[in-house]
Amino acid sequence: MDQVFEGSPKAEVRLEGRKVVRGDVVHDWGSRLQWVVKKDGQVVATPPARADHEFEHDDQTPGKYEVSLQLWKYDGYQKDKDGNFTKSKYVDISNTVSYTI
Amino acid sequence: MIHVGNERVPVCEGHGFNRRSFLQAGATGLAGMTLPNLLALEEAGAVDASKARIRNCITLFLVGSPGHIDTWDMKPEAPAQTRGAFQPIRTNVPGIDICEHFPLMARVMDKVALVRSLHHTTGSSHENGQRWMMTGHDFNATNRQPHIGSMIARTFGQKTTLPASIILPGKIGNTGAGPLHGQTAAYLGSGHEPFLLGSDPARSDFKVANLVPPQGQTEFRVDQRQQLLKQLDSLQARVETKATTNRETAYDRAFELLTSPASKQAFDLDKEEDKLRDRYGRNTFGQSCLMARRLVENGTRYVNVNHFDTVFNVSCWDMHANGSSLNNTYGDYKNHLCPQFDQAFSALVNDLEERGLLEETVVTVLSSMGRTPRVNARGGRDNYPPVWTNFFAGGSIQGGQVIGSSDKLGTRPKERPIKPPQILASIYHAMGIDLDKTMVPGPGSRPIRLVEAEPIRELF
Repeated sequence: MDQVFEGSPKAEVRLEGRKVVRGDVVHDWGSRLQWVVKKDGQVVATPPARADHEFEHDDQTPGKYEVSLQLWKYDGYQKDKDGNFTKSKYVDISNTVSYTI
Repeated sequence: MIHVGNERVPVCEGHGFNRRSFLQAGATGLAGMTLPNLLALEEAGAVDASKARIRNCITLFLVGSPGHIDTWDMKPEAPAQTRGAFQPIRTNVPGIDICEHFPLMARVMDKVALVRSLHHTTGSSHENGQRWMMTGHDFNATNRQPHIGSMIARTFGQKTTLPASIILPGKIGNTGAGPLHGQTAAYLGSGHEPFLLGSDPARSDFKVANLVPPQGQTEFRVDQRQQLLKQLDSLQARVETKATTNRETAYDRAFELLTSPASKQAFDLDKEEDKLRDRYGRNTFGQSCLMARRLVENGTRYVNVNHFDTVFNVSCWDMHANGSSLNNTYGDYKNHLCPQFDQAFSALVNDLEERGLLEETVVTVLSSMGRTPRVNARGGRDNYPPVWTNFFAGGSIQGGQVIGSSDKLGTRPKERPIKPPQILASIYHAMGIDLDKTMVPGPGSRPIRLVEAEPIRELF
C-alpha cells in the first residue's frame, strides 16, 4: 500500500527575545520536525522540534539569525549511491523569524 | 443472467435465480465486491454478558523489524560498529533510556513495559518471526495456525455489529519468503477470519471498501435485496444444510455491518477533530492507529495495525542498506520511521487514557525479530532473531519497567529469556482469558489450549 502524504502542513513561529516559539502543526504528516537555524544566510543547525514548542539557539556570536520549521516529506525511499535521498526531502512549513546579535 | 451493480450473474434455467446465484450476486454487488471474508463468516458464538469486562487489544506490528540497538535497547558503551548512529535519551522513568528519535514515547514510558530478551531460533526470515508473533507458533502450509485476533474472535464472539478482529490497513504481503504470515483463521474456519480494512485511512477520499455499496447502488436497493433474500430463505429453509445456515448468519452480519450507521461511524475518521488527527500523524500508520481506537471504542475486540505491508522498495524497518530493493538506512529511521511511530504510539496511549479506555485496552508493539548487533559494511543492519525488544502498555500492564535484558553487545538474551508464545500468552491473560480454562476447537475439533506458554508474570 503506497503511502500518500496529502495536504500542506503549516505552523506559525514567533520570537520572544531570542527564544522561538511554535504553534501546533496543522495537517501534520507526523515525520521528523526540525528547526532550521541560519546565521548570515548559512544553515548552522537543524535541531529536532517535535518534543518541545520552544527553542533557543545557544550560539551568541554576532550575526543575523533566521529560524523556521521544516517537516520531512516522504516521497519514496530512493537514494543515490552515497545514500542521499533523491525524492524525499525537508520542506518549509512555517514563517521565518529573525534576530541580530 | 441478472445484473447486480456492474456484474452479470448467471441464473438457473427455469427458476429465475436460486439461492446460490443470489449469494454470488450478494458477494459481487451487494457489499461492494470486497466482502468475501465477511460473507464467509460463520456463527462466531453468542455474546456472553458475563464477559462484559473483558479487555481489548491493539497490536502495532512493525513490519521489517526495528533494530533493537537503534531503538529500545541501546548500547551507548559499545564500540561504534555496535552502538550505531543514534544517541539515547532519558525517559520519564529513571534508568530507562530509549532512542533520541522517540521523544514523545519517552514521556509515556511510565505506562510502557519493555521486554528486552525476546528471541526465537527457527530462522531469520521475516515470515518465521511473523508466524511466531502473530500466532504463537511457527508452522508450515500443512499445519497452519490461527492469528491471535481469530483466537480472540473465537473466544469472545462479537460485542457489537463490528467484527471482533480487524487488521488495518491491510495484511502483510510480500516480505520475501512466502505467503505464511500467520494472519488467517486457519483451522478455526472462515467465520473467524480477521476483517480487512483494505484501504488507506490517511487518504482524503478514504472509504472502507467493505462498507461502500458499488457505484450506482443505493442503500435502498441494498435493503430491497435483503428483503428478497429473506423471502428466499423462508422458502428454502427446510432443505438448507447446517453449513448454509451458518453462512446465512454470516450474510446477515455482513448486512448488519453494511447498513448499521454505528458501524459506519466507527470507520469514519471525519468524526474526529482535525487537531486529534494531527496528533496521530496524517499518514497511513497514524490514521490507522486512530481508527484502531475508534474501533475498540465501538466494540471491536482486537485490532492489528500493520506498519507497512512489505519490506521491498519502501521506507520500512528492514534496514539492510543494500543499495537496492532493501535500501533502508539510518536516514529512513531518523526522518520517517521513528518520528512516525513516536507520534502515533504516544498519541494512541494518551488518547486512550484521556478517554478512560487505557485501563481496558492493552496496547502491544510487536515485530518479528531484531537486527544484527554489528552494523554491516553498507551501514545497515540485517535480520537477527536471537534477541530483540517489544513492549506492552495499557490494561493491567505494570508500566515503567524493563523485563529481561540482552548482553552488553546486544547479541543474546542475558536475563529472563522470553519466547514469542509467552508474549501471546501475556496478551490473552491481559485480555482476561484464563489460559488454563479456555479451550478452542483445534484441528479435528480436538480441544486445545490457545497457546502453549505461560504469561510473563512480571507484566501484571
